[in-house]
Amino acid sequence: MKPFFTLCIFSLLLLLAACSRHVTRIDPAETPDISGNWNNTDSRLVAEEMIHDALSAAWLSQFNEAKNRKPVVIVGMVTNQSHEHITAETFMKDLERSFITTSKVGLVQSGKKREEMRAEKADQQTNASQSSMKKFGLENGADYILQGSINSIVDAHKRKKTVTYQVNLELTNIETNEVVWIGDKKLAKYIKN
Amino acid sequence: MKRCLLFLSFLGVGSFVMAQQSLQAENQNPDYNTSRQKYMASRDKLLTTMGTTVQDTYKAYDWYEAKQERKQQRYLDRRERRMYQKYYPQYDSYRYYRPYSNYNRNYYRNSPYRQNWYYWFW
Repeated sequence: MKPFFTLCIFSLLLLLAACSRHVTRIDPAETPDISGNWNNTDSRLVAEEMIHDALSAAWLSQFNEAKNRKPVVIVGMVTNQSHEHITAETFMKDLERSFITTSKVGLVQSGKKREEMRAEKADQQTNASQSSMKKFGLENGADYILQGSINSIVDAHKRKKTVTYQVNLELTNIETNEVVWIGDKKLAKYIKN
Repeated sequence: MKRCLLFLSFLGVGSFVMAQQSLQAENQNPDYNTSRQKYMASRDKLLTTMGTTVQDTYKAYDWYEAKQERKQQRYLDRRERRMYQKYYPQYDSYRYYRPYSNYNRNYYRNSPYRQNWYYWFW
């Protein structure tokens, strides 16, 4: 009776182990395509293309020659007009990071983070010591605003589907309204269910 | 006294105009203040989406996905009918799907086009 009971327990444990969820760490640079939807690989490809294109385009050297300093950029809104939920922050952050690491472009904070920063500054006006208190009105004004859009085209019939994504980023001179750079990345996929 | 006041007012207006001109950049539109006031008033509202992704997605038609959705919907409908019948056994959820059944007999009885004895015995 006893060996049978042990065997039962062992079998049950084996069954539970076989049914449990299995997670394996993978390299983020080699994310496999599972559903065919937008994934990490797409985001990385867009980021690589945009970084290379933005930092080698003529607008940067032209600004340096004209003003003798590096341009300051603020990140604006990205509109996702595709058929999927896509968060642009993944590749936008890679681009922002490249601006800072290469020291070719200055970056100023925008959106909710800027609001938080100003709120902290306001708090310092009444709580921080006079010597450490940060003043209002000394922020760096941006020269350019970076805005973007994501679009997609879907062509599907029965079990076959092609999806084309087009990601565009635009850099516009805030004072003159002149668009100085448009980054473009197209990704096409063929999916068979 | 009157002359003195007139002179002072001219001086005030003149200095105001000079100050405005000195604030204006070269080649700047003299009516820039109209736009400035408009956007100064609404900037907080306009800057809420800054640094974010605005989701303006659409639903793309995919034949295979649509088929899967229809299948799932049929399953859910059947499940709902089963559940309803479990709690209300008298309720026949399929009666609407049998147009010539006894349940709908009266409809055909009053209809001038359907005076057929056949429908009475269903």
